[in-house]
Amino acid sequence: MGSPEIKITVKLIGPFVNQIGFSEKVLSFPDGATVETVLSSLPLDPKRPKIVTRNGQAVASGEKLKDGDRLAISPIYSGG
Amino acid sequence: MYGWTGNILRINLTNRTHKVEHFDEEFARKWVGGRGFALKILWDELKPGIDPLGPENKLIVAVGPIAGVPAPNTGKTVVAAKSPLTGGYGDGNLGTRVTEQMRKAGYDAIIIEGKSDSPIYLYIEDDKVEYLPADEIWGRGTYDTHNWLYKKYGKGAGVLSIGQGGENMNLYAMVRSLEGRAGGRPGIGAVMGSKKLKAIVIKGSKPIPVADPEGMRKLGLEDLRKVGEIDKKTGWSIQGTTGVLAWCNEVAALPVHNMRKTHHPEAWRIDGERLNNARVATYGCPNCTMRCGITILDREGRESELDYENIGMLGSNLDIFELDQVASLNYLCDDYGLDTISAGGTLAFYADAIEQGAIKGDFRFGDAEMAKKLLGMAARREGEVGNLLADGSLRMARQIGHNSEAYAMQVKGLEISAYNCKFIPGMALAFGTSPIGAHHKESWVITYELKQSQRDSYGPEKAAKVIELQRIRGGLFEFIVACRFPWIELGWELEHYAEYFNKTTGLNWTLDDFWKVADRIYALMKFFWVREFPFWDRTRDYPPMIWFDPKNADTEGPIAGKYLELDKYNQLLDYYYEQRGWDKRGIPTRKTAEALGLKQEADEVEKFTRLE
Repeated sequence: MGSPEIKITVKLIGPFVNQIGFSEKVLSFPDGATVETVLSSLPLDPKRPKIVTRNGQAVASGEKLKDGDRLAISPIYSGG
Repeated sequence: MYGWTGNILRINLTNRTHKVEHFDEEFARKWVGGRGFALKILWDELKPGIDPLGPENKLIVAVGPIAGVPAPNTGKTVVAAKSPLTGGYGDGNLGTRVTEQMRKAGYDAIIIEGKSDSPIYLYIEDDKVEYLPADEIWGRGTYDTHNWLYKKYGKGAGVLSIGQGGENMNLYAMVRSLEGRAGGRPGIGAVMGSKKLKAIVIKGSKPIPVADPEGMRKLGLEDLRKVGEIDKKTGWSIQGTTGVLAWCNEVAALPVHNMRKTHHPEAWRIDGERLNNARVATYGCPNCTMRCGITILDREGRESELDYENIGMLGSNLDIFELDQVASLNYLCDDYGLDTISAGGTLAFYADAIEQGAIKGDFRFGDAEMAKKLLGMAARREGEVGNLLADGSLRMARQIGHNSEAYAMQVKGLEISAYNCKFIPGMALAFGTSPIGAHHKESWVITYELKQSQRDSYGPEKAAKVIELQRIRGGLFEFIVACRFPWIELGWELEHYAEYFNKTTGLNWTLDDFWKVADRIYALMKFFWVREFPFWDRTRDYPPMIWFDPKNADTEGPIAGKYLELDKYNQLLDYYYEQRGWDKRGIPTRKTAEALGLKQEADEVEKFTRLE
């Protein structure tokens, strides 16, 4: 038996869709994964400011994710 | 004096006369241009209580010292008047070739007063002003009008026009330019129509007065290139402003069903990704290297240029999730010369009022074909329904009663832009204190609220953030005049704009100098409102009451059970007023006014209400 996994729906917003190559995908991560785990698994520029929400709520650094969570990753929009 | 021509062109349509007036450097430094000039002229020249659609109202077209100078993104012009929609100060900016042509013709502002006895358009070429019959274009949409004028004057001419909406004095009629640019949400197009002025065409051949022309040209062109590179690197223009739709849907800030809902499972069908995939062309303003006008074909096969506000208000807010149908509604608004935000907000209110049983009618949420018909009726003021719709949601609510004003989604009479603040206190404050009625252009704090702060905080830091952004967005960019996008979306530092300003004017201003002008303009805008509505109180800075109603809270999703709390919103308003130096009614105190150089204006407003 391998280590337990959680499934996270990753939703990319705006130009991240073109840069990463998908819009929305269910991805598997090891149990105990945090927001940083998900972000580091994607070819995103770490220096680029971004806003990440978990199930529609702002997410804190190091926050542990749960199976079935939805993570939206967006560049910082400023409302046109 | 560099940076300004020092000339204002005053045109009287009643007598068909014009003259050039001059302003001095003190006026220029105090009000800078664009919104600053327009506001000060309207304050000085309009008698309070005049009919905004009567000959006494004045239409102002104004540019700023860096407008038209090659630099990021200086193709914008301000149009302003006393608003027929709100009864207060009204303005808007739009990208147009008028900006550069007006400066080359030798003017920083044009004042248009009186009223023509028959439809005309103005042709201004340097010192020449012609009053020409508009019979062939009166009654036609803005696309036909522009093409007709381009054939006559060439595509390089600066053109502002109105459609049937402005002609028939629909109260949210806009002024249109280029392929899909529009400005003047609070009915500035209706003011133009009330004067029987169909269009303004401008051509100029004089140099723009720049203190360091070679240095500015070199710097401006280099910076235009750099901004274009940042845009390319970040990919912002791939979806432009419409990228935010998917995000608003994630965080429960999307307008759905007259803002009764905050997200929708079908929203992806009209998001920026779908829009980009359907793109057939891209348009932008002059002097822009991050063009945001994503254009697709509408249901009828016409090109329609869309941004987020258009899609949010004419799409999700009406429960319409077919992108080509949203594009059709947007095309019609552009052609009739209607504000897409107020048109969408008013149609949504109408559908909601029918659903609530407050009024009888055939329109239902999701019915795009009926929405198209209604837009035509509103633009032409056809029948009882057309007239109701043409007056905007607040007037409609007051006419139909049944407590419907609570869900007329507007502030001060201007419909709320496409950010649903059911539970976003800081953004609700931004809409509440926006000086022309609810408009996102003045301040936008949602990402701040969700990232650096707490969504449910009503603390002073949120009031401070709203003011900070108002100084930049509603101040600096509205008076220098330039588009805020390079700064706000690409992080192009504000110091660049101080540099453009200094190279153009020969002055040595820092950002703090700009903030003082911004505060002065904000204070005088408030005085303008107070002079029109002397029994002013803070309730005019409230968002719609439904946002305070627990029964309106979402029942599922990220903000289930949450709503704005009125006592806490009042506390937030107090923080805002305190930080601005305004009293509890939301009126600048005498001390604040005098510190901003507004003693004379304070004396004038005190004829109408006591200042603290």
